[in-house]
Amino acid sequence: MQPALEVRGLGKRYDDGTVALRGLDLEVPAGEFFGLLGPNGAGKTTLINAICNLIRVTEGEISVFGNPAPSLEARRMVGLAEQDPNLDRFLSVREALLYHGGYYGLTRAASVDRAEEMIDVFDLRAKADVRAPKLSGGMRRRLLLARALLHEPRLVILDEPTAGVDIELRRELWRYIRLLHSRGTTIVLTTHYLEEAEALCEDIALIADGRIVARSTPEGLKEQFGVLTLEDVYLKAVHETSEAPA
Amino acid sequence: MRPEPWRGLAWLAARECLRVSKLWTQTMLAPVIASILFILVFGLSLGSRISEVWGFEYEVFIVPGLIAMAMAQAAYSNNSSSIFQARSDRYIDDVLAAPMHPWQMNLGLTIGGAYRAVLIGIALGALAVPITGAPVEQPLALAAAVLLLVTLFGALGIVVGIYAETFDHHMFINNIVILPLTFVGGVFYSVEILPSPWEQLSHANPLFYVVSALRYGFLGESDVSVWLSFAVTAAIAAATVAWSQYLFATGRRLKP
Repeated sequence: MQPALEVRGLGKRYDDGTVALRGLDLEVPAGEFFGLLGPNGAGKTTLINAICNLIRVTEGEISVFGNPAPSLEARRMVGLAEQDPNLDRFLSVREALLYHGGYYGLTRAASVDRAEEMIDVFDLRAKADVRAPKLSGGMRRRLLLARALLHEPRLVILDEPTAGVDIELRRELWRYIRLLHSRGTTIVLTTHYLEEAEALCEDIALIADGRIVARSTPEGLKEQFGVLTLEDVYLKAVHETSEAPA
Repeated sequence: MRPEPWRGLAWLAARECLRVSKLWTQTMLAPVIASILFILVFGLSLGSRISEVWGFEYEVFIVPGLIAMAMAQAAYSNNSSSIFQARSDRYIDDVLAAPMHPWQMNLGLTIGGAYRAVLIGIALGALAVPITGAPVEQPLALAAAVLLLVTLFGALGIVVGIYAETFDHHMFINNIVILPLTFVGGVFYSVEILPSPWEQLSHANPLFYVVSALRYGFLGESDVSVWLSFAVTAAIAAATVAWSQYLFATGRRLKP
């Protein structure tokens, strides 16, 4: 079976000289719930943006279900909920979903149906005609997730989807993400909440200084680092990387 | 059903047009009122004191140039502000990540400015033609001139919107480049009346050819050959479109 995501020798140097990724290799099997953990500036968002064609990569290759990431086929299969709520300020909730479906090539009828479905799934009905800038933080998060899932992507990338949301909404989002995964969708999740990664992910990779420094199941990582919690794994892995010679 | 990438272009163009419609008081009403005021004040009030130009009443003579100026500013400022806001709030990522070719993104975003400019042109024509009695002598030439104008200024708006780092940058190009060049490009006078070297210098102004092309469409007369006007405008439009396409194709300035 084709892996959902294959990254080979990925490097990114920004115009200011900052090196965010250094020859990163990664493979995520289809149907996996994959977690990507690492400190701020480790390269998580850069990696995600590279997969979604939102940065110009310096070197390396990415494929999504066997298709090169820049191809239209690969783009159709990826859904992204970005870390910051980047919602179109001129569109209402319903329009934001409808137009997203259109950008991804859905027919008008299909886009309308999916938009209404997502509005119900994410409990956005009461705000369906409200523009994004007038939504609360929690509602924006719901809309971001609804938009990412609207075109029924096979690979869903969630960049800190529960950052800044209350416990109740976090649990609700977890429930929906689990349901999505149980239906066969591959999920790549980044988060700073280690309990979230432990509760949701089957496989976790730790990224530091633009490289994958450890990867296993949550239990496997604890065993590998000889510690009892994922937090200790994280601290140990990141500490070891920062002490390693460049 | 297999999703089709051309649908993305259609939806993106529809989104840009929806933005124009939602902001109609700023995008449509204000420029139409400003241009009609120009026609009323300069044409009808002061025009009686100015002799005819090429056999046309002064208020008739200025109509094509004022429409060209309003349309050029609309096509430019619509696209530059739309893409700047999309970059600034990062909702352009939803478009950049979508399964669309770079040319589809470029065209989809450009259509918003064209839509706004054409609506303003139609509104101004509908008001100014009955008020002043301005003719439309060469409708095909007028349509071709409008197409070149919206292409040139729409693409320029895209380029500036992509390069702009603050909202002031896109205003700067409008206020310091487009507006002055249009004013000295023969909106209010025929450059024939200028003394040397100003007449010759006017021919180095690209906006002069845009105004001339539109004037030919309305009046059937212009300062220079209509073919020269079309050729110069088309060449500049092609270069500007190539520039905007380069930015989408490479991701420069759009993607870090």
